[in-house]
Amino acid sequence: MSYDYLFKYIIIGDTGVGKSCLLLQFTDKRFQPVHDLTIGVEFGARMVTIDGRPVKLQIWDTAGQESFRSITRSYYRGAAGALLVYDITRRETFNHLASWLEDARQHANPNMTIMLIGNKSDLAHRRAVSKEEGEQFAKENGLLFLEASARTAQNVEEAFIKTAAKILQNIQDGVFDVSNESSGIKVGYGRPQGPSGSNGAVAQRGGCCS
Amino acid sequence: MDLVSGYKGVVGLVFGNEKSGSSNEDSYVERLLDCISNGKLSEDRRTAMLELQSIVAESSNAQLAFGAMGFPVMMAILKEERDDVEMVRGALETLVSALTPIDHAKGPKNEIQPALMNADLLSGEADNISLLLSLLSEEDFYVRYYTLQLLTALLTNSPNRLQEAILTIPRGITRLMDMLMDREVIRNEALLLLTYLTREAEEIQKIVVFEGAFEKIFSIIKEEGGSDGGVVVQDCIELLNNLIRKNGSNQVLLRETIGFDPFMSILKLRGSTYSFTQQKTINLLSALETLNLLIMGGSEADHGKDANMLTNRTTLVQKKVLDHLLMLGVESQWAPVAVRCAALRCIGNLIAGHPKNLDALASKFLGEGPQEPALNSILRIILRTSSMQEFVAADYVFKSFCEKNADGQTMLASTLIPQPHSMAHAPVEEDVHMSFGSMLLQGLTLSENDGDLETCCRAASVLSHVMKDNIQCKERVLRIELEAPTPSLGAPEPLMHRVVKYLALASSMKNKDGKSSGNSYVEPIILKLLVTWLSDFPSAVNCFLDSRPHITYLLELVSNSSTTVYIKGLAAVLLGECVIYNKSVESGKDAFTIVDSISQKVGLTSYFLKFDEMQKSFLFTSARSTQPRKQLTRSASASMVEIEDVDENNLLDQKNEDHPVLSSIFDAPFVNLVRSLEVNIREKIVEVYGHPKSKVAVVPAELEQKSGESDREYIKRLKAFVEKQCSEIQDLLGRNATLAEDVATTGGGSSYARPEQGAGSDRVQVETLRRDLQEASKRLELLKAEKAKIESEASMYRSLAGKMESDLKSLSDAYNSLEQANFHLEKEVRGQQGVGGSLSVPDVEGIRAEAREEAQKESEAELNDLLVCLGQEQTKVEKLSARLLELGEDVDKLLEDIGEDLGLPADGEEEED
Repeated sequence: MSYDYLFKYIIIGDTGVGKSCLLLQFTDKRFQPVHDLTIGVEFGARMVTIDGRPVKLQIWDTAGQESFRSITRSYYRGAAGALLVYDITRRETFNHLASWLEDARQHANPNMTIMLIGNKSDLAHRRAVSKEEGEQFAKENGLLFLEASARTAQNVEEAFIKTAAKILQNIQDGVFDVSNESSGIKVGYGRPQGPSGSNGAVAQRGGCCS
Repeated sequence: MDLVSGYKGVVGLVFGNEKSGSSNEDSYVERLLDCISNGKLSEDRRTAMLELQSIVAESSNAQLAFGAMGFPVMMAILKEERDDVEMVRGALETLVSALTPIDHAKGPKNEIQPALMNADLLSGEADNISLLLSLLSEEDFYVRYYTLQLLTALLTNSPNRLQEAILTIPRGITRLMDMLMDREVIRNEALLLLTYLTREAEEIQKIVVFEGAFEKIFSIIKEEGGSDGGVVVQDCIELLNNLIRKNGSNQVLLRETIGFDPFMSILKLRGSTYSFTQQKTINLLSALETLNLLIMGGSEADHGKDANMLTNRTTLVQKKVLDHLLMLGVESQWAPVAVRCAALRCIGNLIAGHPKNLDALASKFLGEGPQEPALNSILRIILRTSSMQEFVAADYVFKSFCEKNADGQTMLASTLIPQPHSMAHAPVEEDVHMSFGSMLLQGLTLSENDGDLETCCRAASVLSHVMKDNIQCKERVLRIELEAPTPSLGAPEPLMHRVVKYLALASSMKNKDGKSSGNSYVEPIILKLLVTWLSDFPSAVNCFLDSRPHITYLLELVSNSSTTVYIKGLAAVLLGECVIYNKSVESGKDAFTIVDSISQKVGLTSYFLKFDEMQKSFLFTSARSTQPRKQLTRSASASMVEIEDVDENNLLDQKNEDHPVLSSIFDAPFVNLVRSLEVNIREKIVEVYGHPKSKVAVVPAELEQKSGESDREYIKRLKAFVEKQCSEIQDLLGRNATLAEDVATTGGGSSYARPEQGAGSDRVQVETLRRDLQEASKRLELLKAEKAKIESEASMYRSLAGKMESDLKSLSDAYNSLEQANFHLEKEVRGQQGVGGSLSVPDVEGIRAEAREEAQKESEAELNDLLVCLGQEQTKVEKLSARLLELGEDVDKLLEDIGEDLGLPADGEEEED
């Protein structure tokens, strides 16, 4: 249970792009072709290791439907990372990215790391959004980018881990005030700091949450 | 608050009597509001606000008036005058007062409640809620404090609306969560508010958890000293329970990222383990409720949630939760009964249907120094506790342990070895080294000397769990033989027979008293043991029937009017098991004999009625529905702790049939067993009657004379056969008579209010009879129709025959007449041929002479008559003439006149002559 850091993630994007499936693939390593519509939010958690440091990921998978927006917005502020997902076989889900991004910028912590994911990369024959377009959008908006498949698990681990690595990088760069509740980051308690042990900011705050 | 009382005086002066009329208050409230919104001097406005607050706090009329006019004024202050802290405080305090119900003991109940109405008005606009939430960020302590109070008041009055409103306000919940890190007073207020807010609102529960509620809750609990802490700890646990109740997502989060350790440290007893204050008891009970929420899941059988619940059970036991529970439920001598029971129930819930946890409990040892298995300690609680509740809770552990756990049952049963009599009554203090089985057997037989069967029936209850659905265990227990109480009195007897003896003893004790002595569950528990034992196990049936009085006793029990429906019902079930699981062919022990004795001694109708009565009883109908969750609110929990103790005393007084122990006996699996048994029993009994003993197999071939058989042998054989049939007919007649009797009583039974469902077997029999009747009447109908048809045909033929006959007759008549005519004609022809024409002339002459003679005679007689008449007239005339002469009349002239008158007739007469 002990970890160096705990990061809160949210997964956002249009309904039906595969948000819940990405989470299930990441936490349970399985794919469920037919998934119930998510109501409100669902929770998942997993421990990962980044640069030899145990990091706990708490992931809130949100409902994509418009009617749940007011509820899901409550989760923006406290998240350190967001996976913004679209479906490469449905153009409109890509077109809506701008509005999702706007929502996130409005309600979330400005330092939130956002990973853009073009999901369903296994369905290349039905592709409606090219990889280049995705890359372009990510670049323009300062997002990380990956194409992934919840079905084949391709790039799923990477998506979560790269985001975590970026957040960790930001912490080490001193971008975050990790003591702030709303950063979506918590420092683990009762555990010697990671192998490097050089991070003063972290050592300083150890045990603050116990 | 001196000010307030001061203003009270002012208000009193203004109004005099509060009842003096609401219009006064209306106008006064209006005036104050006007002053607040339009006043020039801030001093006046503040005074007006204070006054308004105090009057709204006291008078419901003022509350009403305030509700009608005040909100816009207050909201304006909260919105636009943030800098004037005093006014903002005043406005908030006034709003709180306007939403706080005033207790009017005297007021009529159905009066509108202004506080409720005001809450409704205020929460009606989402903007208001958002405004209030923004006030939580104010510097001033009182502003935040009153705002929280106001929100709590709104939540208590219209929770749903506020829950919805808060969800739509961005970061609304975040603001509330921040209050948990505020000063203690604010924090405690926020805890209450969040508890209200999260009640049955899944999305809010999740957001609150997202905002780190678990960490905060556990850190507060830790700060406050865990279970030794005050009411704040209780509030924390209540909020915790709200967050995980039926919320799998939050449970996963708790398990995966916080872990169960902080929770379990609440259950850990530390420091003074012997002091249990009421608050500590409530805290522990609340924490045990948390545990139950984690391991029992929701009521719905959602597969995903089921998996989550199982993972929770596994993880908790891995985290050694059993140790804490055993400490609370078994080892701690000072823990209150309520806590001990709750802990035992949690143990039961943790292990039920969970193989690993079952093993974990089975391998637990307790005690310092000489250790003993935890299960033995729990058994000792069952046998010794003075608390009914504790017995039921500890019994529940064994029930859960044995459910679908054949290995566990076998393990327990393997120690069931009877001790020599002398040892069985060794002092109980030494039983730390006793095996489970010895303790159980000792408990079972312990009380026979002092006549108290309480311990016996508790042991019986455990034994029935050990044998449930497990043939090996049933067999093992069946082989147990006990020494006779006094060795000189005969051979050892089977344990089963001893158990039946105790059953009889229990009912005889009750009969002696004439009233049931509190322990109304002794007989049902022993009966349950026997029902469980005999179920699907013919050897046990055989053993039970080895002693003839057993059946007689059961029959008595079924028909005994003074026993409860449960006892009668269970005795009936047991009898039924003797029928359906009866593999015996020995006469006197076979199924037929038993069915016969049931129908003779009890009557099938009344026998099946016992099932119906039991089925209809409350326990049976309620066994399946899950018990409603008791919410452990502040007010409820305090009373609950007290009730637990009071309850037991009451129960002993009450001669209530629906005893809590009974409801634990009649749990869902047992009720289902009884239901399925009943169906089988009904079927079997019908079958027994439908296919009686096949003493005489009627094979037509056997009736034929065999090839090598002499006539005498053949006759002898047939005779024997007929004799057999004869006796069978006798049997059947006898049975038929009982059935007919039964049917008759069923027919007339409506007078004693037979249930709608009716006794099943009678129904079955009535059904078959009715079907027979229907068939017969159908056949009759058919025959009648046939008969009518034949009759009509016959009559048709008859009439046809008649017609033919009459035809024939008329034909022959016609022939006869023709013949006759022919004869006449022939005769005439012959006559005419013989006489010729000479006969006709003399004949005419003769006839004429004859006629003349006749006419002459006739006129002569008439003439004579006339002559006589004339003579008479002559004498009349003479007499009259003489008289007339005497009178001087001229007779001659008179005569002449008469002569003229009579002239013509006289002439006529003469003419005729």
